[in-house]
Amino acid sequence: MHRLLFALVALSLLLRGLHAAETPAPRSAWVMQFDSDWLVAKGLPEKVLLVSLQGLANRSSPRLYVVHPKDFQWEITEPLFEFYQRKHGVAFAEVKTADAALALFAAHAKGYVIWEPAVSASMNVAFTIAGLEDAVVVTAEQVALVEKHGLKKIDDLRGRYTGQTDALIYRDAVARYWARCTHDAIMIMGGHVGAVRMPAMADWGVRQKMFFHDLSANPIHAEEVALEKKLFSELAPLGTVFGWHSYGKDTEEQHTTLLSSFGLRMEGLHNLPNLSFNCQFTFTPGFKFENNHHVARTAKLTAEQKVYLSFVQSDSIGIGVWTKPGRGKLPFGWQVTMNWTKFSPAALEYFHESATKNDYFIGGLSGPGYLYPNHIPADKFGPLMAEARKLMATLDEHVLEIMDNSAADGNVGNADLTKETVDRYYAAFPDVIGFINGYGPARTRDLRDTRPMISYDYYIDPRRPREEVAADLNELIALNAKRPYFLLVHVRESNDVNSLVEITKQLDGPVEIVPVDVFLKLAASNQTYTTRYQDPADPKHFKGF
Amino acid sequence: MKFTGWKILGLGLLLPLAAWAANPALAGRWRLDPKRSTALDGWTAWDLVVALDGSQVSLRHDMQWRATKRSATNTVDTARPAEVQDFFRVEQRHMAIYGIRGATTPVRAEWIDGGRTLRVEAAMPVEVSQGNTTMRITQELRLVEGDGELQLIELHSTRVKPLVYRFTKITEGK
Repeated sequence: MHRLLFALVALSLLLRGLHAAETPAPRSAWVMQFDSDWLVAKGLPEKVLLVSLQGLANRSSPRLYVVHPKDFQWEITEPLFEFYQRKHGVAFAEVKTADAALALFAAHAKGYVIWEPAVSASMNVAFTIAGLEDAVVVTAEQVALVEKHGLKKIDDLRGRYTGQTDALIYRDAVARYWARCTHDAIMIMGGHVGAVRMPAMADWGVRQKMFFHDLSANPIHAEEVALEKKLFSELAPLGTVFGWHSYGKDTEEQHTTLLSSFGLRMEGLHNLPNLSFNCQFTFTPGFKFENNHHVARTAKLTAEQKVYLSFVQSDSIGIGVWTKPGRGKLPFGWQVTMNWTKFSPAALEYFHESATKNDYFIGGLSGPGYLYPNHIPADKFGPLMAEARKLMATLDEHVLEIMDNSAADGNVGNADLTKETVDRYYAAFPDVIGFINGYGPARTRDLRDTRPMISYDYYIDPRRPREEVAADLNELIALNAKRPYFLLVHVRESNDVNSLVEITKQLDGPVEIVPVDVFLKLAASNQTYTTRYQDPADPKHFKGF
Repeated sequence: MKFTGWKILGLGLLLPLAAWAANPALAGRWRLDPKRSTALDGWTAWDLVVALDGSQVSLRHDMQWRATKRSATNTVDTARPAEVQDFFRVEQRHMAIYGIRGATTPVRAEWIDGGRTLRVEAAMPVEVSQGNTTMRITQELRLVEGDGELQLIELHSTRVKPLVYRFTKITEGK
């Protein structure tokens, strides 16, 4: 009996030991629920104060997490909140007000800096100061609140920049602060402009002591472009540009072209929340990425006389379709923002954990971050792609997605790769199953050894009526009359899979929906598509700098 | 029977002449009513500007996509077939179907329905991912009673679903 009891106790201790090895030690943190009010004249000042406080509170330890409403662009904040509790043993206590947050976290700040809502750029200058001086960012109306918690004035931007252009304001800020900021990264806090602004990523920039700005990459703003070029040229090699371009000044295409020409990569958006919290968690013990491969890297498949269709979503996996109804009903490729391995590992683990067998992860976008490869300097391409290979190996990814919209007009127009760019990818990624290209449709296609490069033939606009989507796909099937036909479809972020299931039922002819790794293997077996690269004579919406 | 053979012949000659006559009511600027039309894809606004010159009909498309504006003109001839270089098609821009730069498109046009409908038939060379092919396009521009509205019905040889666009006539300059 004693021997049995001893054995049971020993087994119990062993199991507890094993459990302890697999489960991280419990820890405490706090959570705030944000609402959807980002109006400059209403809800923004409090959120600016809170995200600056979050950046400081999370500097040495992950203390404060923010959950956003379900209609927020990043829909994963709540699932990830649940994930932290379940997988990392985080016990969250809710903080309900800014006053309560200051009571808890004001000790992590040394003071406050006052910004001026009437001078838009002063918010970004204040965020820069916040990172450097450990300050929370407030409006004049919030001074009494923060002083109640013992914070003293560090700086007051009211009046300093009144009537000045953004170029002048940021030139002054560069002179005052840039030398002390990190040069590994920079924060473009642009995005929404005017009555609504949404700087939800500011916590990360404050924590990392980044320089904040929303300088334009639009050539009509020559002074701003010149200043931004200076900043980019002084960033560390292969540095990262966080945030997002200003919707009021320039285009995504212009900004991404500019930063790519310096060999930098983009990580957005400006409203991506909680990186200051997320970056401090690693993968849970024992976790290893195991992608749902449907075909071995070395396998050979033979295409039949039919249409092969594959769906991919590439708007960063944290946005949109993942949380929409119906995921798992169709094979789906998901472009994973590889850099999240460094900045947000728990989010990647959450996606992998919640993936169905029909969810297949691919690397992107164009490399270790978002960049336009046609513009990457030759000497920067190799080091960037070496990092991408490493990240893809960690994430168990065999397919690389490329996107270069430098000549496109939003999601229409020229999204093609030059032959030189295609050559570089084939040289840099000898072990991939293949490449996919585009955002809107594109016509860069190739097949070298067993690795095809296929561009999207169709982009599903979420607002397009479903019957028209089915008619569009059937028209492509009719025009591409040879079989097999390889029809690659990009699914815009806010579509839902259930509606795609209905569309697939309306397609003509023998059509098979296949995962993108199978799709590429089949495309390698019978090149019914042309080999084509960007034609220098093709129209370019943005001519470059 | 009062009709003689000559009268029948004369009527036979007059009817086609009446059908060939250009309808001045079609001329002018027509603006798409998106709510009553097939969804555009990759365009946010469309004005169709029609000008008549004898048997020639100029169809200018003033297109807009967000802040980008583009204008393109197809000139057709109701008296004879034409070869139109870089024929402009209001395409669904999220489909990988591209006009071939510099290519000519055979185009036939005629007035039908007593001059209230202009029919245009084009065999347009297009590039798709498997190479070059031809899309046959039939358009009918139908004046609606009252001449203040225009219907454009477009059929493709490769699409089972017609595209139906409704326009309202507007005063030039608006």
